[in-house]
Amino acid sequence: MSDLMMQINPGFVVILLGVLCALIPVNPVRKFLVTTAPILAGIMIFQNYTSHEVIAGVIQVGPTKLTTLRIDPLSMIWGYLFCLAGVLNAIYAFHERCKITDSSALIYMGAAIAGVFAGDLLTLFIFWEMAAISSVFLVWKGGEGSFAAGVRYLAIHVLSGVLLLAGAVIYGRAKGSFDFGYIGLDAPGAWLMLIAMGIKCGFPFLHNWIQDAYPKASITGTVILSAFTTKLALYALARGFPGTDLLIYIGAIMTCFPVFFAVIENDLRRVLSYSLNNQLGFMVCGIGIGSELALNGVAAHVVADVIFKGLLFMSMGAVMLRVGTTKASELGGLFRSMPLTTLFCLIGAGSIAAFPLLSAFVTKSMIITAALDNGNLVVMMMLLFASAGVMEHSGIKVPYFTFFAHDSGKRVKEAPWNMLVAMGLASVLCIFFAFPWGGYQFLYSLLPYDVDYHPYTGDHVVFQMQLLFAAMLAFAFLKRIGAYPDERRAEILDFDWSYRRLGKNVMVWIDVMWTRLSAHVGNIRSKVIKSSGRKLFQFFSPAGGFSAAAPSGLPVILVGAMLVLALCVIYIGAQ
Amino acid sequence: MSDEHPHTHEDLTKIHPLAVPFLWLANPKVERGFIWIPLIGMIITILLGLVYPQKHPAPWDKLFFGSWAVIGFFAYSFVVMSAEPLFKLLARDEDYYGEGSTDLEIADE
Repeated sequence: MSDLMMQINPGFVVILLGVLCALIPVNPVRKFLVTTAPILAGIMIFQNYTSHEVIAGVIQVGPTKLTTLRIDPLSMIWGYLFCLAGVLNAIYAFHERCKITDSSALIYMGAAIAGVFAGDLLTLFIFWEMAAISSVFLVWKGGEGSFAAGVRYLAIHVLSGVLLLAGAVIYGRAKGSFDFGYIGLDAPGAWLMLIAMGIKCGFPFLHNWIQDAYPKASITGTVILSAFTTKLALYALARGFPGTDLLIYIGAIMTCFPVFFAVIENDLRRVLSYSLNNQLGFMVCGIGIGSELALNGVAAHVVADVIFKGLLFMSMGAVMLRVGTTKASELGGLFRSMPLTTLFCLIGAGSIAAFPLLSAFVTKSMIITAALDNGNLVVMMMLLFASAGVMEHSGIKVPYFTFFAHDSGKRVKEAPWNMLVAMGLASVLCIFFAFPWGGYQFLYSLLPYDVDYHPYTGDHVVFQMQLLFAAMLAFAFLKRIGAYPDERRAEILDFDWSYRRLGKNVMVWIDVMWTRLSAHVGNIRSKVIKSSGRKLFQFFSPAGGFSAAAPSGLPVILVGAMLVLALCVIYIGAQ
Repeated sequence: MSDEHPHTHEDLTKIHPLAVPFLWLANPKVERGFIWIPLIGMIITILLGLVYPQKHPAPWDKLFFGSWAVIGFFAYSFVVMSAEPLFKLLARDEDYYGEGSTDLEIADE
């Protein structure tokens, strides 16, 4: 039995339990499964992994070898992280009685775990698509307004899967193997796979599904979604394209552009979606740099990001549950009603802003240091600029406009106990992963390469605090002189305008034109038919021209001509 | 019967017990005075920068004093000041796409 378990990808077990969940009508049993499934998967990873690469679960399908389980230091940390996120999400969703959410959350998480442990590109493709299909239900559970966003989400992710498959097939045929290791941009099919991963990772112009779907998903759905899809794509990038220079610039752009959208966005869950994009940029940049320090930074920051971003989404979910909105213009002063949620949100905000003793301080700085070592000063400056931007949208804007600012007069209940427990655990982890005495060392022990990086040096603490204090000062100063803009209700246009408005209008125009053309062609056709019928009637009807009295010579000539024509046709056909 | 806070005049029956000791945060004087915290913090950390200089300085760290504070202040200000023109350029009516609001109809447990 134990040997059999060593052959099974831990994600399969979670997926199986997710399917089982869909059949169980009893809520407590489902909740038990949702909570224990990630723990079970974590135990399986722990038992399987022996500090060396483990290859197992090899299946021969015709000429193709599928490696369904490959655990190595890179996949191991992602696997543990997904299990940890699964437990936190399960606790957070404990109050919700929804079979679809429970089942799809487990299948989605299982697909993500199975994806990171996939040893070949075809297995990765299967779980890539499974993650997309299972997670769309979490979007659709957001209500009527989420249906169209869910359809777009599904279409974009299925497209990503198709591109991945196409790239994998081209790559596999050229290389003679589908093994998923370093790919590099020069390999056949590599660009298709890079675009597929870029879609899921939120590359610029491919990012809109995040800000479109996440804020419209259900309260728990948003929290669950934030943990897996983009991180699975990051893993695939880190596996297939480490050290690809192009990713440095893509990542640097990703860190900067969301900052400008986040500052004018009123919906705080959408602000956090832009913030997610911004943090992904740091990690994509780290993958592009590709040094051991950078890749360690990426792996560490993935862990930190899943926890603090999950925490921020959880706090906004609690606000959504109690107040009914996360529009900054409608909120304010909620610390009076939700003090614990406020505290947890502040810890999440401090973590993402990289305050000392909070998680991003020990993770993001690894990537920034690697960028400096890389000698690319423009990128380094962009990352510093983005760090100040993070302070604006996630460090200040989200907690300030929700819990402080002007008093909205809303007096609501504190979040349910299970949400508080989940947020409390996430907060403890944010602190633990940056704790100088054993905390960050534990995180570093899980990283794929040996770590020779000490975050708590005098210069790092001092200069990071310079940046953060200066950003806070700028905020306070701009508020005082009235230059800080008020939050206003609006739809902020982004690149998705190109397909949600322009593309849609073009399709509507084509549809209208086609309908008109069809009608016009139909009219012409009916006129031609009528006219031909009339002409034929005029010729061949009893009262027609052919029946009329005519000189006998003319029909003879016509018949003779037709016979000549028939003879010619037969003669040509016989040649 | 309402139970009023002596300074903030807030109805304490509607305030979470854990939040009561922190009601001073809503005091306008505190809000106005908040600016001193980052200002003093920034000055202290700039001075500490002399004691703990960057071990791996970027070129701008050698160029001017308190470089990260300058970057932080101007980067933050630039982002915030860009909000108004960007809003004018990109903001549309909330139902621009005609897909409805993301708000919940009823907030309940």
